[in-house]
Amino acid sequence: MISNSLLKKSQSLIALFLLMVVLSVVSDKFLTTGNLWNVLRQISVNLCLSIGMTLVILTAGIDLSVGAILGLSGAICAGLLKFGLAFPALDLWVGFTVLGATLAAILVGTSLGFFNGWVITRFSVPPFVATLSMLTIARGLSFLYTQGQPISDLGTDFEQIGAAWLLGVPVPVWISACLILVFVVITNRTSLGRFIYAIGGNEKAALVSGIPIKQVKWLVYALSGAMAAIGGVLVTSRLNSAQPNAGMNYELDSIAAIVIGGTSLSGGQGSIKGTIIGAILIGVLNNGLVLLNVSPFWQQVVKGLVILLAVIVDKMNQKSN
Amino acid sequence: MKYIFLFLGLFLAGCSSKESTEKPKIAVVISTLNNPWFVVLGESAVQQAEKLGYEAKLFDSQNNPAVESDHFENLISSGFDAILFNPTDADGSIANILKAKEAGIPVFCMDREVNSNDAATSQILSDNYTGCVAIGVEFVKQLHGKGNYVEILGLAGDNNTYARSNGFHTVVDKFKGLKLLGQQNGDFDRNKAMEVMESMMQANPSIQGVFCGNDAMALGAFQAIQSAGKSEQIKVFGFDGADEVVQKIKEGKIVATGMQYPKVMAKTAATFAVEFFKGRKSFPQHIPVGVNLVNAKTAKHF
Repeated sequence: MISNSLLKKSQSLIALFLLMVVLSVVSDKFLTTGNLWNVLRQISVNLCLSIGMTLVILTAGIDLSVGAILGLSGAICAGLLKFGLAFPALDLWVGFTVLGATLAAILVGTSLGFFNGWVITRFSVPPFVATLSMLTIARGLSFLYTQGQPISDLGTDFEQIGAAWLLGVPVPVWISACLILVFVVITNRTSLGRFIYAIGGNEKAALVSGIPIKQVKWLVYALSGAMAAIGGVLVTSRLNSAQPNAGMNYELDSIAAIVIGGTSLSGGQGSIKGTIIGAILIGVLNNGLVLLNVSPFWQQVVKGLVILLAVIVDKMNQKSN
Repeated sequence: MKYIFLFLGLFLAGCSSKESTEKPKIAVVISTLNNPWFVVLGESAVQQAEKLGYEAKLFDSQNNPAVESDHFENLISSGFDAILFNPTDADGSIANILKAKEAGIPVFCMDREVNSNDAATSQILSDNYTGCVAIGVEFVKQLHGKGNYVEILGLAGDNNTYARSNGFHTVVDKFKGLKLLGQQNGDFDRNKAMEVMESMMQANPSIQGVFCGNDAMALGAFQAIQSAGKSEQIKVFGFDGADEVVQKIKEGKIVATGMQYPKVMAKTAATFAVEFFKGRKSFPQHIPVGVNLVNAKTAKHF
């Protein structure tokens, strides 16, 4: 019995392992260090979004606005770096350093996320609807701010965030690794983590036992917004350019990673570790399909089937339990 | 009190819309404002119409013929008098144009063609196919007719994606020494193109060239190539004529692109609309707007 439940717990890990074995057999380019760093660098953005949204989904919520918040915060980061902030009425102009612009972008993402949480708790708006509205609002704001044009050439210092290596590891991988650590600690070791699971498991029971539901929700949506903003800074730095439509549909890849990782969309069950495996699995799949030069039409079909398969296996296991 | 204001507001809105019907209004309907190039096309069309003294409004079809159809219905019922139109689909958009035609509203297509010669009043088109034939010729020249290359296509199901790719391949495929090792979609998106290029370079360490279906993707591919330290080895080709790419051609980082003229197309379409208001009835069905090759030699002229 023990080995059986262990098997179930690590099924996404087994799926990832199998996928990697298959890919390394069919392509001699897959299992090279260069390519593996590539995959890790490419998934760093999706990882940021996904671990942030995992907390939201654990409370039985969802955050559809992460892609749009990524686009807006990336644009603001680039705009502040390049043009600064002008107050014509005061005859004042404020310039931004790389750190300043990055923090401002994260502040924007956090505020929009907090706003999501506030709307959800204050007016009992379903998270799906509240964050869907935020998706279009943030996307629109990003087009307004950039006037629909990319903001490019942001300087070599800023470019280093996405391009540099530190102790033989790409900086974006360091960043996502540190954030993973923080989120694993939050979910496993803090009372906030326990509150999140409790709310997702049974909100009424959580309320009765005195858990500050409102505040916890504000916090998880704000964290999700903050993580989207960090993703935005990473994408912008990797391209050395902010694209007004950056992050389009990223929320879907992120939800896919979370679901593949075994987190239940109805809340209360799942883990950051699962999400990490899910994100790696999607990244490996994307990379492998291009390495094998699979037709782009088939790529979409294959990705959809993998997600479906992951969820079906998960459901069957829950039933047998 | 609230209700009174509301009614007052409606009344005022009713008044103002009546007044403005005296002077013709121009609608600019653009396939998508998600792509900087189309933003330039749409905004220049609005500016040109305003410069000629007419009120103009911009509509975004979000690459969706159904959204486009809604726009057309609203435009017809709200009394617009001419449409400067960038269609979402060569076949799917014809029905929308015919609706406007029935209502007596002229439609001037910009940049993208529809497969009908008697729907639109006139079509002012960028010659994507011929432009990419020229890119193909330059590609063969720069690679001396042999070597391995990859291609990053635009969006699955988009006309321009295939017009560009076909133009390029009519030339390049004649050279047996040039081998296409990978062909992937970059969705006209800089980030997607960068990631696809990163993976394609892993799969094919020996590539010498990449042709990208637009300049945003050329910039993404270049970013990937530069990070991999292969800018000496891999030659990048784009299409559109974005300022950033022209700059990179001058710096010798990107080899060539095709310069399109969205502002010329927008200006021609706006001028035609105004001539229509003044009584001109016959317009040529197709006005091709040439695409110029930009390479290291010619970049200083752009």
